[in-house]
Amino acid sequence: MLEHQLIQSSGFRNLGPAGARTGFAFRIRVPNYHGTRLSHFDGADVTVDGEFFGHERNRFAIRNEIYTLEELREETKARWGMFEWGAVIVDKPGGLAPGIHKLEVCARTRYSYFPPDVHIFPMRAARLATIVMP
Amino acid sequence: MSGSFKYGVSTYSYVNDYGSVMALEDAFDHIADAGATGIEIMGEAQVEGYPDPTSAWVDEWYRLLDAYKLEPTNMCSWIETRTTLKHSLTVEEGAAELERDLQLAHRLGFKFLRPKFGVLSHDLEPEPQWEAYAERNLDLAHKYGIVICPEIHAPTPIRHSVVDGYIKFIERTGTKNFGLMIDTGIFQDRPLEHWGSHQITEEMRRNKHMAFLNGIRVNPEEFLDIAQYVVFIQAKFHDINDALEDQQIPWKPVISAIKRSGYSGYLSSEYEGLRSPWRSIDQVRRQHVLLRQLERDFDQGLFK
Repeated sequence: MLEHQLIQSSGFRNLGPAGARTGFAFRIRVPNYHGTRLSHFDGADVTVDGEFFGHERNRFAIRNEIYTLEELREETKARWGMFEWGAVIVDKPGGLAPGIHKLEVCARTRYSYFPPDVHIFPMRAARLATIVMP
Repeated sequence: MSGSFKYGVSTYSYVNDYGSVMALEDAFDHIADAGATGIEIMGEAQVEGYPDPTSAWVDEWYRLLDAYKLEPTNMCSWIETRTTLKHSLTVEEGAAELERDLQLAHRLGFKFLRPKFGVLSHDLEPEPQWEAYAERNLDLAHKYGIVICPEIHAPTPIRHSVVDGYIKFIERTGTKNFGLMIDTGIFQDRPLEHWGSHQITEEMRRNKHMAFLNGIRVNPEEFLDIAQYVVFIQAKFHDINDALEDQQIPWKPVISAIKRSGYSGYLSSEYEGLRSPWRSIDQVRRQHVLLRQLERDFDQGLFK
């Protein structure tokens, strides 16, 4: 089962070879009240400890696939369901130190049934989250 | 001659809880225990493996209906016009989306299907292709005994070209398989405190496009003007206090108008208040007490 909040506690971890970390990842619920095709998720802006990483640069992983934003935008076959987490992947050389970090996300969801000027609807969440392994 | 309501609950009430602190059987339990006879779902939320659930999942769906003595009422679906930033649905593609959801609704025993269409404006005018999607699926809907019912939902009031457009379609085709769904949020006459998980800020209230947060105050009597086309009602609400008073929806005149119209279909609860864990469950129960009391009082002539 997922946690109620958008940003999950587990899954927040460093990526890449130990000692030469390339970045970090964290898990989120589908930022919507129903599942959708992946192409309706327009990526996420991430801020960790005040450092900003724009949605264009971040990648997304679900089940066994990793998508760049360009790939996500064209993915009309794969879907994201209510019981599944997806991982936002952020490149950051050195990764994050073990300990508590302030993690903010703005998940961008495209709604055709919202007026066109708010087609991309931001869902914001912030929390303290914990990196365990260096 | 007044109608006699059927009481149901939409799993939309349990958004955020569903998938974290609540699974499908829990939802069945909460809905049945509120005294409801009908369950409304969102296809692409409750159906595992949407749009193609396994036969094992479908068996479990029917086992749950039987165990909790609930009937499937409405299935919510979406026709997401802009599938990608570069591609919007053609008429054929959109009609195929609607057909696919009709097939699924039929497979699961639903009698109503609510598609949400893409919109063009802040009044929620649907993209014009909606008419072709619907018309191409009327025969299939008829074969399955399903009524396709788009919603009249805030900020769209009853007296609006959106509603006229749907009514014109019904009159032109003579169909029995297309009707209106009313979301009672249109009758809201007091401001919201929360919108989903968010506390509403003064900045939000000042934004002209967020005026609907304060309620669009449709006169409940206007329901009678279109009642002949209404096939389903989503009983939208946000907050019922400890004195059993709804803080946003004026249920007495709303129930009065709906009763006088003779409507005998479902009132399907849609809680849309603060989404703190589990809050929805008891809020839905409160709404059912409140609505049943009002219906009883109306039937006994205690108000008109």
